Amino acid sequence: MDSKFKNQIREQFGKTAVAYVEATHFSGGEDLEEAARLLKPSHDDNMLDVACGGGHMALFFSPMVRQVVASDLTMQMLKKAQEHIAEEGRVDNVVFREADAEDLPFPAGSFTLLTCRIAPHHFPDVPRALREFHRVLRRGGRMAIIDTLMPSDPEIADFFQTMEKMRNPTHIKAFSEEEWQEMIHDSELILQETLVISKTHDFQEWTKTAGLNRAKAQELNKFFMDAPQKVHDYFKIESFAGEVESYTDKKLLIYATRKEKEKHIYQKPATEAPKESTEET
Amino acid sequence: MSLKPELLDILACPKCKQSVELDEDRKSIHCSNCYLRFPVRDGIPVMLIDEAECSRVAEGN
Repeated sequence: MDSKFKNQIREQFGKTAVAYVEATHFSGGEDLEEAARLLKPSHDDNMLDVACGGGHMALFFSPMVRQVVASDLTMQMLKKAQEHIAEEGRVDNVVFREADAEDLPFPAGSFTLLTCRIAPHHFPDVPRALREFHRVLRRGGRMAIIDTLMPSDPEIADFFQTMEKMRNPTHIKAFSEEEWQEMIHDSELILQETLVISKTHDFQEWTKTAGLNRAKAQELNKFFMDAPQKVHDYFKIESFAGEVESYTDKKLLIYATRKEKEKHIYQKPATEAPKESTEET
Repeated sequence: MSLKPELLDILACPKCKQSVELDEDRKSIHCSNCYLRFPVRDGIPVMLIDEAECSRVAEGN
């Protein structure tokens, strides 16, 4: 990841770290529960949560696994997540590492579980990150990626890309389900299941977690209100007196695994097969 | 939160992916392969290639 963009990410998420830790729309949700249902965490699992943000995924999984390593590119975010988890008291199996998802600082095969939630749309090189995920996963390891789904209608997709960038300039690109399938396949991970989950965002909280000032929030509000009807229908935009109250987007949950080690069963070469003896004894 | 030495087992150099070692003062972690030194801030290792200090002394100095 080039350092200029990395600094932009740090600036963006550093200033809004508290909002991310406190955000109710991140701390719970159907996506976390579905990820747990598919991943079937156990106390033998060593888990990595990449781009942990406010630490909500790490905190949610911590009672179900042996250990969670939570990594993020932004130190302020990690510190706030660390403070938040310390306040919870009971949690003593989460550790934090400042790391780049595209250059992970872990030996090959370190983790049996890997999660990455609502983050890949900020990665400049998702295939590279996926290769790293594959590398640090143990054979047979399980992985869940959750990210915002790119709408398939080009006009709705354009609106989506523009409004995400207006809200947070470090948004690079969300992907369609087909694009994800191809990237997962190319990284030699095995796609097991995908799931689309609707997520409703409180508009005010959503602009607040991005640290938008009033003028920028109003600009975004206008962009939503002026959008064509099909955009309103797709995102189920709810408004009152010209003010957007909420909208609903779709998250894609990708459940994939790393291939199990192939079992080599020793077979005697055919030439060693016993021949019928013709000799008389 | 202190940095437990046993957690270094699941830490590697982000550049060469080889094992890293904790410095005696526990304030940094180094990779003896890449000559990179990674700071530890508030108990959190900063494992970023461009934040690391290169500790290699150029030949002839």
